Amino acid sequence: MASIVLRGVDKIYAGGVKAVNGLDLEIKDGEFMVLVGPSGCGKSTALRMIAGLEDISGGEIHIGDKVVNHLPPKDRDIAMVFQNYALYPHMTVEENLAFGLKLRKMPKAEIQRRVVEAANMLGLEGYLKRKPAALSGGQRQRVAMGRAIVREPRAFLMDEPLSNLDAKLRVSMRASLNQLHERLGVTTVYVTHDQVEAMTLGDRVCVLKDGVLQQVDTPQNLFDRPVNLFVAGFMGSPAMNFVTADLVRDGIAFANYRLPIPASTFTDKPGLGDYIGRKLIVGVRPSDFEDARSANGHNEGWARIPVRVSVTEELGSEINVLFTIDAPPVMHKDALALAQDAAGDEADGSLPLGGGKSLWTARVNSRSQVRPNQDLELVVDTHNLHFFDPESGLAIGHPANVRG
Amino acid sequence: MRHGKYPFIVGFLILPVILYVVFVIGPYVQAFQIALTNWKGVSATPQYIGLENFTKLFEDEVFWAAVRHHGVLLLAVPAITIVIALFFSFLLNVAGGSKGGNLRGIWGSKFYRVVYFFPQVLAVAVVGVLFQAVYRPDETGVLNGLLNLVGIDNIGWLVNTDLALWSIIGVIIWQGVGFYVVLFSAGMASIPKDVYEAAALDGAGRFRLFFSITLPLLWDTVQVSWVYLGIAAFDAFALVQVLSVDRGGPDNATTVLPLEIWRNAFTYFKFGYASAMGVALFFMTITFAALTLRVTRREKIEF
Repeated sequence: MASIVLRGVDKIYAGGVKAVNGLDLEIKDGEFMVLVGPSGCGKSTALRMIAGLEDISGGEIHIGDKVVNHLPPKDRDIAMVFQNYALYPHMTVEENLAFGLKLRKMPKAEIQRRVVEAANMLGLEGYLKRKPAALSGGQRQRVAMGRAIVREPRAFLMDEPLSNLDAKLRVSMRASLNQLHERLGVTTVYVTHDQVEAMTLGDRVCVLKDGVLQQVDTPQNLFDRPVNLFVAGFMGSPAMNFVTADLVRDGIAFANYRLPIPASTFTDKPGLGDYIGRKLIVGVRPSDFEDARSANGHNEGWARIPVRVSVTEELGSEINVLFTIDAPPVMHKDALALAQDAAGDEADGSLPLGGGKSLWTARVNSRSQVRPNQDLELVVDTHNLHFFDPESGLAIGHPANVRG
Repeated sequence: MRHGKYPFIVGFLILPVILYVVFVIGPYVQAFQIALTNWKGVSATPQYIGLENFTKLFEDEVFWAAVRHHGVLLLAVPAITIVIALFFSFLLNVAGGSKGGNLRGIWGSKFYRVVYFFPQVLAVAVVGVLFQAVYRPDETGVLNGLLNLVGIDNIGWLVNTDLALWSIIGVIIWQGVGFYVVLFSAGMASIPKDVYEAAALDGAGRFRLFFSITLPLLWDTVQVSWVYLGIAAFDAFALVQVLSVDRGGPDNATTVLPLEIWRNAFTYFKFGYASAMGVALFFMTITFAALTLRVTRREKIEF
């Protein structure tokens, strides 16, 4: 086991494309670090540089106390789990697990012991004599994990290992991954584009965008105190709602709403007062909404806004309420990047809205039984509003931004 | 649908089957028939002489020499060609290591790829003439000229009975390697690159990578190549005809069955005897193909 430290790591591809840009990251011994970001953000490249599968264009990577920049992959004492498993198709499960150990000239008895141990841990005992082609996706995934485990390396590197599994299996494999990490305590670097995986697996999560590190923190801190508009919008599902608003003495005004801001917010977020009388971007998590009828009682700091529901998504225990507000969508570059990522390959993933309207999501308890095209009164927890500078997109009052 | 099914199938099959029967099966059957006669190519009513042609065949030294040569060709040509082609295609595709997420060949591999393929596009006649210059037995020969420079005497590449067949094998391999390099390159390209990366992380060097990953995953392609090359080894007619001294000489040292068939049929006009040789060659080829496919059969590998 070892810590992994990246110092100013660059990756420049031929043609000058900068996939990773001055990445500084310290992964502690035994930590589960998740690298997350939209596709093309350089997270896989960073992982492959740690593995030694990509040259490092600049900076240094340490594993343990050694600089590994010029070590070939096999001498870095790390094991990697690939997105497509990369099992050796002509070998049985047993041979797949033992291959790396055989190449390291380990005694036969020790190889046997480790293979059996890993197979037991992963529930693969019954499949040792099978070839990968005769296994299901989940089983192949476990063999790939096993191949990493038997090596007993100093660090595991995982490149979107669950993305080829179906949704249900992904959830159960996520739990097993958590257990495995608890049990083995090996430093793990895990790459994913799925923020739910990032939140549930990581001790800490590192958010990347265009090869630049945005924020590294615990999942809860990322959710509660995102450092900028991008992190705020990327973490959390459904995504945070944004609007450009005017900050006045004791509240914000946007569309035809006016929300009071508790005095504590101004003390919590130093620098927010400077924005009075100016425009800023306000972010509201869907989970900070509630149906006014079922939120009776805790009214303090909760502001009421009447909305007209356009779409509802019923999730059983909760309902996602989609409604439009009379304010243009936020055109900050981070918000646009997020929209593009959400839309995927489609040219335009969102519903066409009339000019000057944007779509918001509120998550309310299913007891509200709200239906589309109804009028609904929502309450907003104004303690949890997020404020961003309209130019830089940085969170106002975030410790990391105040210092700078 | 029942009444429409068979006319449909027959409708599609009838033309190719007729063509195949007339131009492939027909001549084969005819060859079997002629092999039992003493036909000289002119008589309208050839005499049936039973298996006499075959008994003569068993006592014919030239025939056995040709069979022996096929044995040598069969062992040497596929083995050497495949080994060289595998080596080259590994160098061209994998051995350069991984750069920018892509496995690469050694430096200049794109250039070599073209160079290796050159011999394949030359006509056999051209190759024959080319290598007559290369193998010329005096100091004007390309090889001997070079050897003279380092103080080695002239070697009779094509006139020495011990060496002539190997000189021709050299040309067959030289001409064939390029194609199999391309074939194996395509096979290697279909192996997922993360399998190589996983092996690299597991600690495999180039040598282990080749024998533990590339070769087993390429086995299907190698097997097919073996059959192709084996069947080519039963031919070798054109090259021997163009290149060797006295067409199959010296002293029948390089002769092959197709050449003997051709000679018996069109020089000596012993069509019956030539057909008997053809029948023998037919059975040899069939046996070889069946044996190879059986021996090298393995489980299908899925990626």
